[in-house]
Amino acid sequence: MEENSVKYDSDLFEFASYDKDESEHIAAPKYSYWKSVWRTFVKDKFTVGVAILLLILILFALIQPSVSGYDPLIAPNINNSEMRFIKPCAEHIFGTDNVGNEVFDVVWAGAKNSIIISFVCTFITMVLGVVIGAVWGFSKKIDKWMLEVYNVVANVPFLLLAMILSYVLGAGMGTLIFVMCVTEWVFVAFFIRTQVMIIRDREYNLASKCLGTSNWTMIKNNILPYLISVIMTYVSRMVPSLISYEVFLSYMGLGLGVTKASLGRMISIYTSYMNGYPHLFWIPVTVLAILSISLYIVGQKLADAADPRTHM
Amino acid sequence: MSNENREVILSIKHVDITFETGNKKKLVAVKDANFDIYKGETFALVGESGSGKTTLGRAILRINPCSAGEILFEGKRISGKISREEDRNVVRNIQMIFQDPAASLNERATIEYCVSEGLYNFHLYENEEDRVAKVDKALKDVGLLPEHKSRYPHEFSGGQRQRVGIARAMIMDPKFIVADEPISALDVSIRAQVLNLMNKLKAEKDLTYLFIAHDLSVVRFIADRIAVIHLGEIVEIADSETLFRYPLHPYTISLLSSVPMPDPIVERTRRHIDYDPSVLDQSGEKRELREIRPGHFILATSREYADYEYKLQSM
Repeated sequence: MEENSVKYDSDLFEFASYDKDESEHIAAPKYSYWKSVWRTFVKDKFTVGVAILLLILILFALIQPSVSGYDPLIAPNINNSEMRFIKPCAEHIFGTDNVGNEVFDVVWAGAKNSIIISFVCTFITMVLGVVIGAVWGFSKKIDKWMLEVYNVVANVPFLLLAMILSYVLGAGMGTLIFVMCVTEWVFVAFFIRTQVMIIRDREYNLASKCLGTSNWTMIKNNILPYLISVIMTYVSRMVPSLISYEVFLSYMGLGLGVTKASLGRMISIYTSYMNGYPHLFWIPVTVLAILSISLYIVGQKLADAADPRTHM
Repeated sequence: MSNENREVILSIKHVDITFETGNKKKLVAVKDANFDIYKGETFALVGESGSGKTTLGRAILRINPCSAGEILFEGKRISGKISREEDRNVVRNIQMIFQDPAASLNERATIEYCVSEGLYNFHLYENEEDRVAKVDKALKDVGLLPEHKSRYPHEFSGGQRQRVGIARAMIMDPKFIVADEPISALDVSIRAQVLNLMNKLKAEKDLTYLFIAHDLSVVRFIADRIAVIHLGEIVEIADSETLFRYPLHPYTISLLSSVPMPDPIVERTRRHIDYDPSVLDQSGEKRELREIRPGHFILATSREYADYEYKLQSM
């Protein structure tokens, strides 16, 4: 018993003061959403490398065509048979094609159009889809009507619509963008509607309702911030898939006309020289693949970083 | 305590609330609720899970529609279809404190936005400085610091979050507050803190509470009057002293017997009494809420009423 008893020396202790404010203080550093998104994104060195590569590719595709002045209607070396089908070498980096054009110039001019179309289409469909989807998911009355609209629009055969529209409106960039947006938004809207419905009835929305918050403010402040991550994921899949789609439509002859450079048309023409000059086919396909894959990787990582659960 | 000459702030008149569960089936969540809440009191609604207490509380906030009866606030009807201005008026004057502080705050908004949300909606500030001053004061009133404004809800402890929820309701300067189990999601050690805060604010701001709870020991501490609700029916209403001293309805007795005692020796002798509806009058006569003593109401048939009267006299 003696061993267990401990003698406390009162000199060793002193009274601690209690500060009410101090006990409420939060010691953790301040949390900022976008800063945390950035920090999470740059943590992965591989993705940062891909992002830099992507940025260089996009900038190059946007600037190089205006430097080279490539125009598919002008083929300056068309009568010079020596300039045709040169294999890639120091002088002609990607070689030359069947009409003696530098493949290097053609690839970047085509990539530029593909990138512009894909970005513009993604932007239009995303804005339309998110706004309509948010309202759609929020209101039970609108839901009843919109589901019918969805059933109709979503079941229009896309290729048929693209064919008819490109014949009626004439091939061109505006038509292509219109064709790709005219049905795509409804899928985005439906996806967003489902996401909104998942979080619509959560208790904090009820609390906002009790404070008299209007539906529009609730969509803006209570719903959309929660959807940043899923929207990013959607965009990261959409941009590369629209690039492929543009290529596909141009390959089918429904996309850009002969006046505009296009990766799709290029691949479609060069396919016939596949046996003798495979580089003509593989170079544009590789550029397309690198663009798509790096867009996808960067987009997915951004979507991950936008999810606050990864910020810990 | 005489109730006749006290001002009624909220009056629930024969309210039924039903939910359609599909296949034309209806779930009656609240049956014929009928009581008054007086200005300045804390009125508690007690019952087990699924008894309809939250449903009734939400009906007052116009979230659940009443299928019969009406709710009057300061003499004006607030249930059913009302004009937009009256609806805004209800929002201004009736506020709610939620059960789960983690779920009821917007995780992607700062505390400043959470607390100012009501101010923005009704534009209750003269300029930006005035708004910030109001938010600071609301936070101070609940014991939080102005530096918390730029923080996000997930950075706070449960008790702090619940106090943010209280500040958000209080900044609207309401007259009536529905507190839906405000402490049941909190740690036992901070329950008293939140209850004391609610009592302090009630005294300062001249508030009236409808306190929804399932825990009778809490209710005894905070409530002036208690209504016991069982399967959507109010079975007994009395002021809290009377209810704890002279419980009449077998369900109330069963509920009281289930309160744990903090003293282990007393707790050992506590016997839980099961609620057995078969002891009630089975004649099929419609039960109604009858006033057995001034301010003490009980749901009974005439035969049960006579039994309760006999029991009261022998107590």
